[in-house]
Amino acid sequence: MKKNIILVGMFIVVVFALTIFTGCAEKKAVVTEGTAQEQAAPAQTAATTQEQSAKVAPAATPETAETMVKDIFFDFDKSNIRPDARETLKADADFLLKNGNSKVVIEGHCDERGTAEYNMALGQRRAQETKNYLVNLGIKELRIKTISYGEERPFDPGHNEDAWAKNRRAHFVVTP
Amino acid sequence: MKKIYLAASWILFFCASLIFSNTAIAKIYIDIDSPNFQQFPIAICDFNNLSTRAAEPLEIGITLADEIKKYVAMTGIFNILNKKSFLEEKNTGNPAALETIRFSDWAAIGADYLLRGNITPSDKKIIAECRLFDVTRGESLFNKKYDLKIGEQKELSKKIASDILFILTGDEGEFNTKIAFVSKKASKSDIYTISYDGSDINNITNHQTIILSPHWSPDGNFLAFTSFKDGHPKVYIRNLKTGTEKKVASFEGLNLCGFFSPDGKKLLLTLSKDDNEEIYVLEIETAKLKRLTHNYSIDVSPTWSPDGQKIAFVSNRSGSPQIYTMDADGDNVKRITYEGIYNTSPSWSPRGGRIAYEGLINGTYQIFSVDEDGNNLLQLTFDAARNESPSWSPSGRQIVYSSKTASKSRICIMNANGLNIRILNENNDALTMPVWSPRFK
Repeated sequence: MKKNIILVGMFIVVVFALTIFTGCAEKKAVVTEGTAQEQAAPAQTAATTQEQSAKVAPAATPETAETMVKDIFFDFDKSNIRPDARETLKADADFLLKNGNSKVVIEGHCDERGTAEYNMALGQRRAQETKNYLVNLGIKELRIKTISYGEERPFDPGHNEDAWAKNRRAHFVVTP
Repeated sequence: MKKIYLAASWILFFCASLIFSNTAIAKIYIDIDSPNFQQFPIAICDFNNLSTRAAEPLEIGITLADEIKKYVAMTGIFNILNKKSFLEEKNTGNPAALETIRFSDWAAIGADYLLRGNITPSDKKIIAECRLFDVTRGESLFNKKYDLKIGEQKELSKKIASDILFILTGDEGEFNTKIAFVSKKASKSDIYTISYDGSDINNITNHQTIILSPHWSPDGNFLAFTSFKDGHPKVYIRNLKTGTEKKVASFEGLNLCGFFSPDGKKLLLTLSKDDNEEIYVLEIETAKLKRLTHNYSIDVSPTWSPDGQKIAFVSNRSGSPQIYTMDADGDNVKRITYEGIYNTSPSWSPRGGRIAYEGLINGTYQIFSVDEDGNNLLQLTFDAARNESPSWSPSGRQIVYSSKTASKSRICIMNANGLNIRILNENNDALTMPVWSPRFK
């Protein structure tokens, strides 16, 4: 009985987390692809190109790399994997294990504060730490590449903690 | 036996100190590096036009003086006295008048130095004769004749300003230098150069992508930098004369460009190819690579000491980014910054001794400098802007840096003590990572 309650609890947390993150991803989808909504219907072909997979699929459509492999976030000037990110990475690893032929590029990003050059190194460190974590979860190292964009490609152009928190991230680009 | 050695070394030491003290006295007239340095008041008179032809415009002597004032002011060590305060009568036409200066009139208005001159324009040439005086001692410091083509007044005024600086400080100044910087519009960056006087902005690269960390070769003929031109951060060296670019570091992961060695043969790099951001030194011609740091943390932003014996860099091995020094072979690592939780972008003074960097203080970034052993920390900027990326002038007497507020992005130059800030360029785009060139001949 107790176990069931815990399970249900975890399920709720995961669903909640998913809605938050898809909420973020939605913004990007609108920016990158104006006609995303119309093309969403033929779900079978949706996963064929990377560009199309960038859009947020409605709950009913099958899992795509972009919705399933979620960004993780970091504290200011830190590259260690946060406890909340461990959960995300576990789910990310599950998806990658299930889709064993896909390759993934991990992009390390920073917020705008601090030194551009140092942030380039910090972004690389974030990508690398994320890669190490996935490798420990059983993903083959050869499938993973890393790149740092430092503070040069913010997800949210804002200048406040809200935006910065979203920008300190490791983002995954998965190719089938 | 020992005694003889001792005696010999004493004699050597004595001779050496004699030589050094002599050259010091001979060369450096004023010590602008003393802690209680104040700007030197100088009076620069309009040049007398000695042309006998009535049609010659008088303005030429005035504009020449104004140009000289402009350049002399850029050095940050002179206070240019307003000519309206001059007491002495305007001498007209007679070169001999240079000899008959009433120094008391100049001392009375507070001038320590006085520059006067004559020009004789002809059809194609201008002869300029000018003299610099020490007002307090009542003596002439130099008497020079310049010969130039019409239209070269700007070069002449630079030359005269440089000669004034040289006789007084033993240093020719930065008049023939440029500053390279990165200009970022939206998410696209490229490298530009600008002259020391703020003129001649030139676009150098056309990559339209992320570009970082430009660095000059010691001869000023090359710029090394990091570019995402082919999608990944790689290091390129650009020949500024031919415009050709050579990829010199394209390892897996991060390739970040550091400084050229003082002999121009080596380039410092930050690479992540060994799973960790480490500092390497690359022999440019042979492509021989040597790893210098071995630490499971970020090591980045390496810069040479002027003698090439040491390297300063940033590491977060203590938990936050701080400045460290090490020997050129990677040994003897020492932390030199302890104030604050974020100290980055070290730049070693060409005269040795001091390292400038940026540090986080009260929520913003400011420029600091510190002795290479970590002593005598000085904060140099204090305004509300985000002040970053210090780079020393070739003389080590000025520092260029980027300064960003919510609405404006600037490249600024200040004296090494933080005074006399001059805006070199200002823009709505992001202007970052200024680096000072060597002197061009």
